[in-house]
Amino acid sequence: MSTRRHMSNVRQYELVYITPAETTEEALAELHQQVVAVVDRFGGTIEKTESWGRRRLTYEIAGQREGVYVLELINGPAALTAELDRRLRVLDIVIRHMIVRVDEELAIADRARTRRKTAMAARRVRRGLPPEPTESERQRRAEEDDDADGGMEQMFRGGDR
Amino acid sequence: MSDMDRDSRGGGRSGGAKREGGDKAGGRRGFFRRRRVCKFCVEKIDYINYKDVKMLAPFIPERGKIQPRRISGVCATHQRALQTAIKRARQIALVPYVTD
Repeated sequence: MSTRRHMSNVRQYELVYITPAETTEEALAELHQQVVAVVDRFGGTIEKTESWGRRRLTYEIAGQREGVYVLELINGPAALTAELDRRLRVLDIVIRHMIVRVDEELAIADRARTRRKTAMAARRVRRGLPPEPTESERQRRAEEDDDADGGMEQMFRGGDR
Repeated sequence: MSDMDRDSRGGGRSGGAKREGGDKAGGRRGFFRRRRVCKFCVEKIDYINYKDVKMLAPFIPERGKIQPRRISGVCATHQRALQTAIKRARQIALVPYVTD
């Protein structure tokens, strides 16, 4: 817990917003500028902007069946999201938006990955192997897996008839 | 995640699915055997991304509901993560709430 306090109050958020399918490039650019303005005002940064383009909506939103998706990865304080949320809610051009905090989840995933890696390395070293699997080992593993699955399948078909 | 966890879970109504391992009873549908392993543990997926519809799709049956883990075999930890991912995906219309 104490480490988290030291990390200051900068958090990472993902913002996804959807605009109607017929939104023009200019309108999108203007909208992006508005987001940038809010983020700047709160001393945040936009790490990346991803445009997914037109996508089918799985259900109707504001009478639309299709929408233009934009994803923004934002670093900033919590107050930023509140303001962003309020702004986007008011804009008619944004038919749906969602802000999700991702830093904690990604950190957990990262920890799990490193824990697994170190555990595997330790296990391998105990067995007197190099910590990382070699290329040939990896290939052999892949082949064995294929065989095992194939064998199982065969057995089943045999028992079936 | 351990073996113990997997075994103790078979109780109650899920008994039917579990028996399939014992072959023969499977009859015509024998090859439709269900391996009760967590897909996310096996494939070592640490982060279930709500933007990845392809990853979520197998756990969303026709109706649009979230597949219970007694059917999918997902472990408790990953089912929880999967649940939030699906709910987020629903909010931004990547995945349906309901389909009639």
